Formats: sequence, C-alpha cells, structure tokens
Amino acid sequence: MSTLWLIIQREFVSNILTSRFMIGIIVCLLSIAVAVFVQVDDYEKRLTGYNTAVREAKAEAEAWELYSKIKPKAHRKPSPLSIFNVGTENSGANTVTVELGKPIFEFNFPIWAAPTQKRGSDNPFLAMFLTVDVVFIFKFVLSALAILFAYNTISGEREDGTLKLVLSNAIPRDTIVFGKYLGGMLSLFPIVLMSLIVALLIAFSSPVIAFDGNDILHIVAMFGVSLLYVSTWYLLGLVLSVWTKQAATTLILSMFIWVILTSVHSNVVAFAVEKFPPHPVKSEMTLIQPAADVWEQFKKERDAYRRQRGYEDLQKSIIWEPGASSRGVGHGSWSGGYFFTESYSVTNVGQADTSIFQEILDYQEQLRVEYTDKAEEILKEPAEAREKNSKFADALSRISFADTYHFAVGAIAGTDRQHYNDFIKSSRDYKRQIVEYLKDKKAFSSRAWFSNDKGNAALTDLPAFQHRRLSLSESLSRASMDILILLAWNIVLFMAAYVSFLRYDLS
Amino acid sequence: MVWHIAKKEIYHNLTTLRFSLMIILLPVLFLANALIYSLGGDGYTTQINTYNRHVEQNRDYIKEQAGKGLAELALIGPGEILRRPTRLTFCADGTDTLIPRSVKMQNTGTASRSGYEEFEDFAWRAPWTLEYPLQNTSGPGMSQIKIDWVFIGILMSFFAILFTFDAIAGERASGTLSLIMSNTVSRGQVLLGKYIGAFLTLMVPLLIGILMNLLVILISGNIPFELENWLCILGMVGLFALHISIFIFLGLFFSSRVSNPITSLVWLLLTWVCLAFVFPSLLGTFVGNINPIPSVDEVSMQREAQLKQLGNEYHPFGRSGDIPTKLSKAASAENPEATRLWATYLTKEMETKTRFNDGHIDQQFRQVQLARDLTQISPIATFQYAMEGLANTGITSYMNFVKQARRYRQTYVDFVKTEDQSDPESLHIYPVKEGLSQKTVNPDTVPVFTEYISYRSVLSQVGLLVLFNLLFLIMAQVSFLKSDIK
Repeated sequence: MSTLWLIIQREFVSNILTSRFMIGIIVCLLSIAVAVFVQVDDYEKRLTGYNTAVREAKAEAEAWELYSKIKPKAHRKPSPLSIFNVGTENSGANTVTVELGKPIFEFNFPIWAAPTQKRGSDNPFLAMFLTVDVVFIFKFVLSALAILFAYNTISGEREDGTLKLVLSNAIPRDTIVFGKYLGGMLSLFPIVLMSLIVALLIAFSSPVIAFDGNDILHIVAMFGVSLLYVSTWYLLGLVLSVWTKQAATTLILSMFIWVILTSVHSNVVAFAVEKFPPHPVKSEMTLIQPAADVWEQFKKERDAYRRQRGYEDLQKSIIWEPGASSRGVGHGSWSGGYFFTESYSVTNVGQADTSIFQEILDYQEQLRVEYTDKAEEILKEPAEAREKNSKFADALSRISFADTYHFAVGAIAGTDRQHYNDFIKSSRDYKRQIVEYLKDKKAFSSRAWFSNDKGNAALTDLPAFQHRRLSLSESLSRASMDILILLAWNIVLFMAAYVSFLRYDLS
Repeated sequence: MVWHIAKKEIYHNLTTLRFSLMIILLPVLFLANALIYSLGGDGYTTQINTYNRHVEQNRDYIKEQAGKGLAELALIGPGEILRRPTRLTFCADGTDTLIPRSVKMQNTGTASRSGYEEFEDFAWRAPWTLEYPLQNTSGPGMSQIKIDWVFIGILMSFFAILFTFDAIAGERASGTLSLIMSNTVSRGQVLLGKYIGAFLTLMVPLLIGILMNLLVILISGNIPFELENWLCILGMVGLFALHISIFIFLGLFFSSRVSNPITSLVWLLLTWVCLAFVFPSLLGTFVGNINPIPSVDEVSMQREAQLKQLGNEYHPFGRSGDIPTKLSKAASAENPEATRLWATYLTKEMETKTRFNDGHIDQQFRQVQLARDLTQISPIATFQYAMEGLANTGITSYMNFVKQARRYRQTYVDFVKTEDQSDPESLHIYPVKEGLSQKTVNPDTVPVFTEYISYRSVLSQVGLLVLFNLLFLIMAQVSFLKSDIK
C-alpha cells in the first residue's frame, strides 16, 4: 500500500509543479468566473421577467367576471441551477396561455395570437454566440487539461527511461497503473473543486440566488458527474499513453480524439439529422387548414345539436319577461384558423329566463373543449416530430462521452429538453385541470358563463399552475443512463489501460 | 536553400501520424458538408423557389394595388420584401436560422369608427411602416455550430498547430538545429523554409478537399454557381491561406521559445482552445452586460404607451359623451382642413412606430456589432466574419439588407409624392387616402427593391488578418533570432 501511495504522491507532485497546472487553474478559474458572472446576471433578468409576468397574470385574473373569459397562464420558472448549465432556459416558449377554445402547440412559424410565447429577450441576435456556462468550460477546458495531465504518464516515462527504473523495483504493474490514475485524478480534483467554489462564491454574492438543500444536492451530483467526466478523459489519455511509444504521439492522438469528441461528432450528427430528418416534419403552414376543418366540423355538430333541440335561433331559447324592452343575443366570434372561440351576451339579461340557453351552452362549450383537443392533436405534430428527430440525434451523439456528460448534467440541472417538454406537457395538464374545475363548478351551464348580473363567476379557488421541481433521486434517475454510460467508459478504459500495461513491452 | 528546408519539412510531415489524421478527417468533413448542404432539407433550391414565387406574387400584388389608384398603393405599401437566398451558405452558414429572411413594408389592416353623434363616420387605413419580424426558429434542440467551411477552417488552425509545434523545438531537442545552422543559411531563411513547408502541407490537402467538395455540389446540381460566386470562393481560399498562416506563425513562435516540443504543444493547445471557443463565446455573451439594451417586451410596451397617448390626444376612434376633438370631421377631398389634420395624426403615428422599430433594431445591431468587434481579437472569429462577409450570410448581410430596405422606403415614398404632384386634382396631402391622387398608376413605374451585395466589410477583416500575420511573423522571427540553438 505504501508503494501505491508513493506513486500517487510522486505523480501528484510532478503534475502540480508543471506550468500546465498553473495555466490550467488560471484559465479555468478566470473563464468560470466570467461565465458565472454573466449567467447569474442572465438568471436575475429571467427571474425578474418571470416575477413580473406572474404578477401581471394575477392582476389580470382579478378582473375576470365571466367563466368564458378566463385566460389562466402557465409560466416557466427559471431554475437557479441554470447558471451551471443554461440548456433550454433561454430558448423556447416560457408562457403558455390556457384558453378553453385554443389548442396548445408550438410552431416555429410566427402565427397570430399564438398560445405559447417567449417573453423577455434583450437581443435575439446575440444568440449567435455560443452560450458559455460552467458545463461548457468543463466540457472543453477541463477535458483538455485532463489529457494534458495524462499524455506522458507512461510514454513520457518510457522516453525518459524512468519507467524501467520504476519497474526494476518490486512494484507490481497494476499498482503503477492504479497509482498513476489516482495521482492524476488527485491533481485534477483541486482544479474542479476550486472552479466550483469560485462559481458558488459568485453565485452567492448575487442577492437573488438562494440555493436550498435540494439545489445543493443537485450541485453536488453535478460535481460528481463532472469528476467522472474528467476521469474518463484522463483514462483515455492513459490508455493512449500506454499504446503509443512517444509522448508527442500520445498528445497529438489524444488531442485529435478530443477535437472529434467535443466538437466534430455531435455537430455533424445534429446538423445531419436537422437536414435529413428521420421523422419527416410536416410544414407548419399546411396544418392550419386541417385544423380549420376540425372547427368546421365543430360548427356542424353544434348546429346539428341546436337543430335537434329545436333552437336553431338561439334567441328562441331565452324567455324574456313580458316587460323587457328589447330582446336579443349578442354573438362575437374570434377565429385564427386554428382556433374558434365565441362569446355571447344577452340583452336585458336581468329580465330573461336563460335556463335552456344555458343547457345549450353547456353542451356546446364542452364540445368545443373536445374539438380543441382534436385540433391540438393535429397541430402538435411538427413539434413532436422535431422532438423525435432531436432524440434520435441525441442517441447518436451519445457515442461521444463529452455529449453524454452534457446530457447528464442537463438532466440533473433540470435544464434539458425533456424538462422543457415537461413544461409544455404540464401546461396541457393544467388546462385539463381547469376544464375539470369548471365542470365541477358546473360553470359551463351556469349563468356566470355569459353574464354577471347574478354575481361574478366564483373563481377564488381556481387552480394555479404548479411549478414542479424534481427531487434529487428523480433527477438522478433521469440522468442515470448517461451516468451509466460514463461509468461504463471509465471501466472499459481503465481495463484497457490495465491490460495493455500488463502486456507492455518495455524495450 | 529555403526551398531545400521546405522540401525536407514536407517530406517529414507526410510520414507523420498527424498528416494521416488530417487526410482522414478533411475529406470526411468536406463530403459531409457537400452532401448535407446540397441534398439536405431547406437547401438553396427550396429557398430560391420560395423567393422567386414570392417575388412573382409581390409583382402581382403591386399591379393589383396600382390598379386601385395611387392613394391605395401609397398606404398599403410595397409588400413583404425577402432577402435573396445566398448560394454560399455551405461555406459560411452564419447562424442562418437566427437571421430574419424578410422585412415587412405593408399594412393590410384598416380602422373605422361609426355611430358617434359628434364624430363623422370614417374608415381609414394607417400608412405602412417598415417592420422587422424576427425569425422564430431557435427552439430547443437547434444546433448552433454548422458543418460549414468555417468550421473546417477552425479545425485547420488546429492542424496548423500540430504541424508546427515541434518545427524548431523538435530539431533543437534532437540536435539537428545546430547542424542546419552550421550551413551558410540565415535564421530568417530557416524560419521561412519551415513556414513554407508547413503551409504547403496544410494547403494542398485543403485545396484537394475544397475541389472535392465543389465537385460533389456541382454534380448534385442543386446549387448553380455564377462567376461572382466563383470569385468569392477564390477569395475564401485566400482567407483560408491567411488564417492557416497566422497559426503557423503562432506555432513557430512558441516552438522557438521553448526547449521542449511538448511544452510548446501544451501552450499552443491552451491558446487555441481559448481563441477558438472560450474568448469569442465569453465576449459575445458578456456584451449583454457591458452594453445593456431594453428588452423586446419593454420596447413594445413603450411603443404601445406612446401610441395610446397619441390616441388620447386625437381620439381618431371617437369618444362618447364628450366634446368633439380635432379629428371629429372625416377626411375628404372636399374638406382639406380635416384631411390635413388627419395627415398630422397619421404622420405622427407613423413616425412613432418607425422611431421605435428602427431605434430598437439599431440598438440590437449596435450591440451585436460591438460583440463582433470585441471578438475580433481572436483571429478565428475574424476569419469567420470574413468568410460570412464573402458568402453574404450572417448578421452583416442582414444589416446591409436593412440599410437598403430603408433606402427603398424613402425611394418608394418619394415616388408616391412625385407621382402625386403630377395629378392636379389631388390635394397633395400625404399620408391620407383622401388627400392623394386617386388615379391608377402604371405598375411598371413603381420602384422595385433590388438588393446589392456589399463586400466592403470584408476588407477590414482581411486587413486585420494580414495584421495578425505580420504580428505573429515578427514575433516568431524575433523570438527565433533571440533563441539558443541548443
């Protein structure tokens, strides 16, 4: 055991005495500091935007008088962990307006009165610069450092001739491999740790960032995954160092693999999938017509029902008191092709018996909700196809463990695409919840649907959109596959290094 | 002698591992680039078809409006104006998905008021303004880095480092440097020989790759080239050469400074990672902090507030139970006074909209421009911008387009005004329908938007690249002159 410790110590000391250790620390810390500073600022902006939006929505909700006029909103809450991994925080929609007669879907093409919207963006053109966050720097800089620490472990010593001297002692070869691995990791560990501490210090200096216990656990998990990632690169360098005879060759080869894995592979894959999608994405504009057809069908079914009840003219369904001076039903409709909403107002409503009218509305509005779902099925197709394509691209990018790492951290930080899709999905659930709520209240058949002459709609207990946070175990289970892949790479590479070194020819 | 050293350098390079790695990677990337861009979805063919269809439709639209009379044409505007798709996106994509493909110069909406006692019934059309719709395609899961020539160029700078890190340090370590210097050859000549050797080793495979790439694209037949494009491609090859040469000098500089080739490689790699990834992205994201601008929401809120204030001042939509305001009379040919008042109101409304639209996009442009200026301290970013400039993609091309669209806006308004002057029956009050000539216009005289491509912005980047070259050349030369042979 003491020999193992000796090797570790020697490796550690020889690493930290080199210039690359100092440069590595400086580059890493400086870039992390700037990146976190920028991201914290960005997060503050997002949070202010979110709080304003929530406040405005609340004020709006207090003005609702009729059941038919409610427009609850679902807001995507920015995650404080986004300062580590921005992911999808700045892209996609962050406000979904829930309207009963409007399907919820995402189009890239700008459409009129879209239900999903993106608030608060200073300058969309700045998105052309890559966003730099902690994970980005770990992914590029730390991996390069790991290689710079590992490339000469075996081949370098062989060139210097010290390998022979080491092996002439009574040290088993596996102890050497193991010692070199641990020694290298021990010298990388302070860099990762210091980067993280700098990131946290800057984050804590901001008044808006408050991490709770759950967040801290997530950060620790991210730290662990980052170590695993660094270890993968170090082991790769170690394997190559065993396989090649000269340190320079090791470095060239491993840097080449580094370039391929960090920047070439995933970009080629993502770009190729974007241009040759395996799941064809329908043109968004061509879907407006089928959605409009759904609404034509709705109108037919609605009219059929009215005919069947014998009230083709809605005015006949209302019985006014004899004294009522004027009688009529005002009708306004709002259609954008993909949606169709209607509102009604009854003149002299105080003197009218509207029970049959209410029955008709009850049927009609619930029917509208059903048809909204039908239109939604059609309209959400492009986004779903795009998601399938992205999943396919992700699966292919996982070949590179740099991307596996990125996905794992995204899943833990809760800023990956899945999390975004969950938001859209939960806004649909929220809408269903609203519909159930209205059904429970018998709101569709109530008078407060179209008139507040007998009191406003009772909306005090209207459910609010619940932002769900994932616990550590849930996040980890989402990231489990990627973490397992990283672990598998570690084991495979370590075994490769171990076996190759056992068979290593010293001459 | 120089040629002798260069030849030796080339022969040496050819047998190395890095050369084989480059020879494998380059054709793969160039082929992928050619196939993806020539055959993939939303390629040049699709874009140019959409563009041509749109131009056709716009011509019919102008003809239709011209038939309705000058007043109609003056208020509804010349329609939506598309940017001409560029053929060279495969060379420099320039984050194409973020850049809007059109500006809008059209107002199809109408407004009206009726049923007030104190206000005459009136229906009007507000004059068109230039609007800048945003591209909405940056949803989650979009890759930002595209496999274009710029990307390959960045990789080439990486290879330039790999080929030069040991050029001097390696010879010094193996002891051959002193043997070379024992000949009648100056240090400058040795450096030049090394430079030429590395340059040719990199450029020849690159040129072969480019030719292969162009061949595949030509065979696919989806991107037809014109003479101008060929000249641009030639220019790009020149940019490649400048770019690669910078990194060769950088490599030679580090290589002559340190005694151990590995140390030089370590330094070079860290420099490269910073120049290629860390600096440009960090500076780009940092600009939002040093030069903050109001968000889209804030600007649109301010704009709405100002418009509302204007509405409260003039009450074009009338108001009930109150004294009539300035706009209580409808504009008509018989009532020039009221028409003039309407013109004041509509002009003010138009000016407010224009001020906010133009002002906000100008702010955004300035911010991006600042970010670009700052990132140009990295030669890699400079190279990228120069490539985008030649390919006419990226934000600069959009800025040019917007500039030209604004000029066209003026041309169009001037056309309307001069045409209006020639009609004696008209009141010559712009921009109210009743105050303008109602005569039909010959659609052929209506000015048409034509886009000019300006390559002027490339000049400064080329200058910068040359400057980088000189700087690193001097650094390499001085450091080699001062260095020890042993």
